Amino acid sequence: MNIEIKEVNGVTTAIMEGRLDTPAAIKAGQQMQPLFEVADKEIVIDCTQLEYISSSGLRLFLALRKETSTKGGKVIIEHINDEIKKVFMMTGFFNLFVIRN
Amino acid sequence: MEYYGLDLHCQALLDEYRQSLPVFKHLQQVAMDKLTTMLRNNGIVVNSMESRIKAEESLAGKLHRKGAKYASIRDITDIFGGRIITYYNEDVDRIASLVESSFDIDWKNSVDKRKMHEFDSFGYNSLHYICRLPKEACDELGAPELHELRFELQMRTALQHVWSDIQHDIGYKSEIETPMEYHRSLSRLAGLLELADNEFSRIRASINAYRRRTKALLATGQLDQIQLDGDTFRWYLDREPFDNLNKRIASVNQAELQEVPIQNYLPVMKELGMATLADVEKMKNDNEEDAYQLAIAQLGNTDLDILASTIGLQNLCMVQILKTGGGCPGLQRMLDTVNGKQEYNELIAQSIYSQAARLSFMTTKA
Repeated sequence: MNIEIKEVNGVTTAIMEGRLDTPAAIKAGQQMQPLFEVADKEIVIDCTQLEYISSSGLRLFLALRKETSTKGGKVIIEHINDEIKKVFMMTGFFNLFVIRN
Repeated sequence: MEYYGLDLHCQALLDEYRQSLPVFKHLQQVAMDKLTTMLRNNGIVVNSMESRIKAEESLAGKLHRKGAKYASIRDITDIFGGRIITYYNEDVDRIASLVESSFDIDWKNSVDKRKMHEFDSFGYNSLHYICRLPKEACDELGAPELHELRFELQMRTALQHVWSDIQHDIGYKSEIETPMEYHRSLSRLAGLLELADNEFSRIRASINAYRRRTKALLATGQLDQIQLDGDTFRWYLDREPFDNLNKRIASVNQAELQEVPIQNYLPVMKELGMATLADVEKMKNDNEEDAYQLAIAQLGNTDLDILASTIGLQNLCMVQILKTGGGCPGLQRMLDTVNGKQEYNELIAQSIYSQAARLSFMTTKA
């Protein structure tokens, strides 16, 4: 699992790659830390290369969403695959995020 | 030192004002803090509060006009002035009553301008109290001198305030005496705003009465008498109607339930034809077991151990749609409402439908 954070057209974008499962979540949490610093702005999470998400990964997304809603920012999740979409739906968290292709 | 061409008596008053400024500023801070606390403790929300210390030029103008009648600067009651702008007429009276119990009122110099009009005339409406901080409060602060100073507190509604400000503005800008037709126009507007103030109060009272009535119906379980809307749905949720189902679903994977907003489901239930809280209750009672089975079908072979607190209602709505023949298009419409219209809602709807297709409520419904 790897997360690369960069600015794309002035928007902080996290590019996720691999499987965000429980063992990977601790390192992913550390890698996502800079996103919490810009939680007052729009943050894009590019999931084009994200293969899988577990509950631990969901918790990371939810923590970031909570931070942005407190500070006035927004999390936009892009290009998640069909399996991850189902995970968001089954758990009831789908409508908490802006999810776009 | 600027004396604005004042005579010796008024110059002395101006000097006294300059020396007293720190005390007036202290009074302003203490009085406004006290008023803010008073409103907060009594749950009164106001449009705004403002205060000011009279500017030196403004005081000089006043002394020019009528300085001879003042022996001391303390005889001028509006050196410090505060104003509370309310939304509703009745809040002016509520606040006045609280002010009466929190401050010493100089009744001789206080005036209720609302009661000064003839029955057939309209104009400036405001309640003006001349106040002092109570002696004990000043002693407690170690500032007994504050009790010696009076100040003016104006209380009025936002509409009365707007009228007063505009009338003041027009009066000040015109260099000649304003023609009678403008006075008539302003009076006409004052009448209109008085009517609007009364109407706002009537609407608030009516809404409050509706809410009280509805809460009483809810308390006695007469859900068929309660229209489904944002307020009533929130009160219904206070009874935690989906708590039991949520916990059952969560127990499938020993999941943690995370509180999330549930109001997105209100339009879904409206679309499903639910008009009263009894309809929601019926959906819950009729579908609870099937909603649980659907959740098991979705979550049973995963290790997802975090769920949104909407999970029970989400599954109840899905079952309701499927049982009433809504099929995939119905599920997709629900997802469009909850998630916003997205092309992948169709795919998710298909996935939910195929998971539900094997369940008993689907195989036996025909």
